[in-house]
Amino acid sequence: MNPMDELPQKIEHLVHELSVLPFNDMNGTVEGPLTLTNYTTWGIIALVTTVLIFTFVARRESRRMKLAAESGSTAELAPSSRFVSMIESGVEFIRDMAVDVIGPKEGPKYTALLGTFFFMILISNFYGLIPGGKTFAGSIGGTVALALLSWLIFVWVGFSKNGFFGYFKSLIPSGVREMPLAGRLVLGAYIFLLEFISTFLVRPLTLAVRLFANMYAGHIILGVFGAFTALFWPFFEKGLSWSIGGIGVGAVSMAFLIIMYAFEVFVAFIQAYVFTILTAVYIQSSVHASEH
Amino acid sequence: MEALVPGLTAIGKGLAYGLAAIGPGVGIGIVGGKALEAMARQPEMAGRIQTTMFIAIAFTEALALLGFVLTFLL
Repeated sequence: MNPMDELPQKIEHLVHELSVLPFNDMNGTVEGPLTLTNYTTWGIIALVTTVLIFTFVARRESRRMKLAAESGSTAELAPSSRFVSMIESGVEFIRDMAVDVIGPKEGPKYTALLGTFFFMILISNFYGLIPGGKTFAGSIGGTVALALLSWLIFVWVGFSKNGFFGYFKSLIPSGVREMPLAGRLVLGAYIFLLEFISTFLVRPLTLAVRLFANMYAGHIILGVFGAFTALFWPFFEKGLSWSIGGIGVGAVSMAFLIIMYAFEVFVAFIQAYVFTILTAVYIQSSVHASEH
Repeated sequence: MEALVPGLTAIGKGLAYGLAAIGPGVGIGIVGGKALEAMARQPEMAGRIQTTMFIAIAFTEALALLGFVLTFLL
């Protein structure tokens, strides 16, 4: 049988497998908002992993800090293992980013928030790259939840730093506010409308859609190359025949699969980074809203 | 007429994503190229340029992703 005849069925299976399903039943349907789906299950696993890693490292290091303070030896201050050192440099990376983007005074306050976003998304994305695993960010519901959280925080920061009317006023640039009355009314209203839509609607939407689309598209690409490899190298497929050309096509798709897998590891990191840095940028624009 | 609907939908999906990817493709190329130029001129600023570059890429990319999602919604 021609392997290409099987392809549409494989793609359908792939898309079905990437859709939101009950975690224990591949053929079931999700009913009600509180069903434990495959994505929420893996999201909870990722969250628990993140919390465990950080509590473990923090407890261990604070105990050693206390020891160092008692004994006075500086050797206890060094990271105790490679793993701890890795986590520490990760936290440092987030703190430097927060200071860089938000500012030296306000930045460190948001390190915990940004770090939680970053490591939660990163660990979840890495779970998604394990065959059989799912990334929390691979369903639109998961990313909307994350984006809404980020949105709530930067809007709340904006209102609490600038006051209710101050935050709305800061949406209009100061140059427009100093114009003559007619210009202020017409141009001000127009810019206010644009800025309002961009701040309150487009920002959370693009945050959610960017993360979701990148992860979803990445998994589809991996799945398509995997399906090609399985069809042209039918070790496990019944009723498909080997052919010389098929072995070549299978080898090429296998090579692409490996390359794309490496690229997806990179994308998993980049998307976590982009989500975090955009949250930081939005918080910065809320904190310093009255200055521009 | 009814028979044409699936085919035309498929063409529409292809066009939606394809057209949505043109602008951001050019845009990300410009952003990356300019960032590379800037980093070559001032290597000591590479870190900050990279950060800004990622933000710019993220904003540009959003347009392509809207097209991508539209493809699935169609």
